[in-house]
Amino acid sequence: MKKLVLIFSLLLIFNINAQDNIPNIDIKTIDGKTLNIQEATNKDNLVIVSLWATWCVPCIKELDAISDVYDEWQEETGVELIAVSVDDSRTVKRVKALINGKGWDYQVLLDTNNDLKRALGASTVPLTILIKDNKIVSRHSGYSPGSEDELYEKIKELSSESNLK
Amino acid sequence: MKKIILCVAILYSGFTFAQDGGYFFGGFESNSQWLLDDEGLNFIAPEDQFRSNNYFRLDYNLGKFTAGAQYETYLPAALLGYAPIYNGNNGIGTYYLNFKHKTLDLTAGYFYEQFGNGLILRSFEDRQLGINNAMKGVRVIFTPLDYLNFTGVYGKTRNGFDVSEGITQGIDANLDISEALKIEEIELSIGASYVGRYQSSGTNDSIPSNVNAYGGRFNFVAGDFYGGIEAIAKGPDVIANEGQISSNKLYDGTAMQVDLGYARKGLGVNATFRRLENFSFYADRLAEGNVYNQELISYTPALTKQQDYMLTNIYVYNAQPRLIIESYDQRAGEVGAQVDLYYKIKNGTALGGKYGTKVAGNFSYWAGLDAEYNIENRWYEAKFIGKGPKLFRDLSIEVKKKLSKKWSTVATFQNVIVDKGIVYGGALEDEENIKASIAVLEGTYKFEGSKSTRLVLQHLWAEKDRKNWVAGVLEYNFNSNFALYIADNWNYGDTDIHYYSVGGSYSKGRTRLGVNYGRQRGGLICVGGVCRYVPENTGVTANLTVSF
Repeated sequence: MKKLVLIFSLLLIFNINAQDNIPNIDIKTIDGKTLNIQEATNKDNLVIVSLWATWCVPCIKELDAISDVYDEWQEETGVELIAVSVDDSRTVKRVKALINGKGWDYQVLLDTNNDLKRALGASTVPLTILIKDNKIVSRHSGYSPGSEDELYEKIKELSSESNLK
Repeated sequence: MKKIILCVAILYSGFTFAQDGGYFFGGFESNSQWLLDDEGLNFIAPEDQFRSNNYFRLDYNLGKFTAGAQYETYLPAALLGYAPIYNGNNGIGTYYLNFKHKTLDLTAGYFYEQFGNGLILRSFEDRQLGINNAMKGVRVIFTPLDYLNFTGVYGKTRNGFDVSEGITQGIDANLDISEALKIEEIELSIGASYVGRYQSSGTNDSIPSNVNAYGGRFNFVAGDFYGGIEAIAKGPDVIANEGQISSNKLYDGTAMQVDLGYARKGLGVNATFRRLENFSFYADRLAEGNVYNQELISYTPALTKQQDYMLTNIYVYNAQPRLIIESYDQRAGEVGAQVDLYYKIKNGTALGGKYGTKVAGNFSYWAGLDAEYNIENRWYEAKFIGKGPKLFRDLSIEVKKKLSKKWSTVATFQNVIVDKGIVYGGALEDEENIKASIAVLEGTYKFEGSKSTRLVLQHLWAEKDRKNWVAGVLEYNFNSNFALYIADNWNYGDTDIHYYSVGGSYSKGRTRLGVNYGRQRGGLICVGGVCRYVPENTGVTANLTVSF
């Protein structure tokens, strides 16, 4: 019981001080080149980072759903989506076939050793995070049909804020 | 307990004084179950009715340094089907200190690493499977040039809250040839690995204390084509079964994997061939083949499609890398292949409709190695491919179609053949294979305001084993944070048992909570091609994850 109390009080402390930094982690491009995630997400516009895997059904549903409206999103807000695959060596070879077969227009990166997944504290995928000016401004785990609309509302709100500046 | 307080105190003081940009990250995960007696399932709850696995991970980064620890409890008991070494235990499972600067990345403590495809070495954590074979020791990654890197590891493998008896050392080198030679038309890279295990053989001279494995690989991307090959040879070692050395001879092992793919917008094809002969590599020679997948060095998952529905997950494949020469069971390894196909029928065509139609197919075939055995002399001779016994064959096709802004549908058909020994354990080829066909229809309807509902209907046809099944799931998403579901798998062909469950999930920002009540169909639970056995049970489960 004591332990539980300790754990929960810790949770509280760290939840308050939760980090919004993008971790300093090297991942790979689809062609095997090393790229730091901080560099990859360092853009003027909003960036969505979606952690997914070829074996994760809700992840693919989410990316399929966004893919259908991605042109529109980009035109209106300039948002970019980076799809980071957490597939391990067993399934990572499928990634290239799948993204092409699906016709996705996202930048796809590989986190084969799950370093980024651990650093983001993601125990499950999908994890969708929204990055603005190199800070994580929102995160959501799991996917249900329609939650892409909620995500887009947030994107519009945040991108109009930056236009006002 | 003192250790935790100390750790937290150190970390927290670090936080308080770190004014130049240090930050915490990590997460908490709690998976619990409350088991209940269930006459209908003939299930009697064990004495420890409440079982809970908890993981509290905390990392702290300050400039070039990162440190972290993971505290785990399996109290009062571990979830059903987890390795007994965790049961009733708690403590700091892993900790590390990492330094990263320009060309150098140094880690002391526990770390996760993989060489190539992982065939020769992979340390990883999978909480659902109860696997954490992190290495405890030192890792050095040196990247002198953009196109060249070396990784060296030295340490013991985590085994519960202890470490393995054997010590593993390894080195891995990767060279990106195209970048080194400034070739732009084609991407070429090569890699080489060495992994050795030292384990004292005591006074027994006939057991090698050093077992070494060597591997090489080559990868290419040329236009729309890509592929690679990796081959590993493992030196002579004893074979063991259930913690006992099972032969007085030594056997070497090999592994080989070839991947080929073609991908352009709208079409992707990927094929993998793999052959494993006596290729299991553990951090302790006596750990070979343990059902809890503890102390693994090599990573040889089943290369099949990970099925997504309840009824497509009854007949699954588990890789067979081992050599067994017993009068009641003979195996030398496996050989087989799988092919994946992804195709998008364009928007605006007759079949594509307004949104396009997405088709995915998978075919896989896995056989035991075609070998002749001399049981008396504990010897065998295996062919490279040959005509070994069919262990698994799977053909599945999935068609996804968005009908309108509101409606989307998925239709799946699978035909599977599997050896009964793969599904239930025990000797292979004992009985005729199980053959099953499964059809699944799924529909999702989106309402206004990100509400949606999903219905899945499934049927499985089989002549043997438990014969026919029917199943359904109904899910309702109130918004992107809150969902409820109800599901039932009914084996009407044989046992007349309903495996029902109801549950829901709530997620908000960094927190997610899932709760459900119902019956768990026993059998192999596979994640990423690695499986663990879970007995049938009934109860309430709760999963909480928080990341920060």
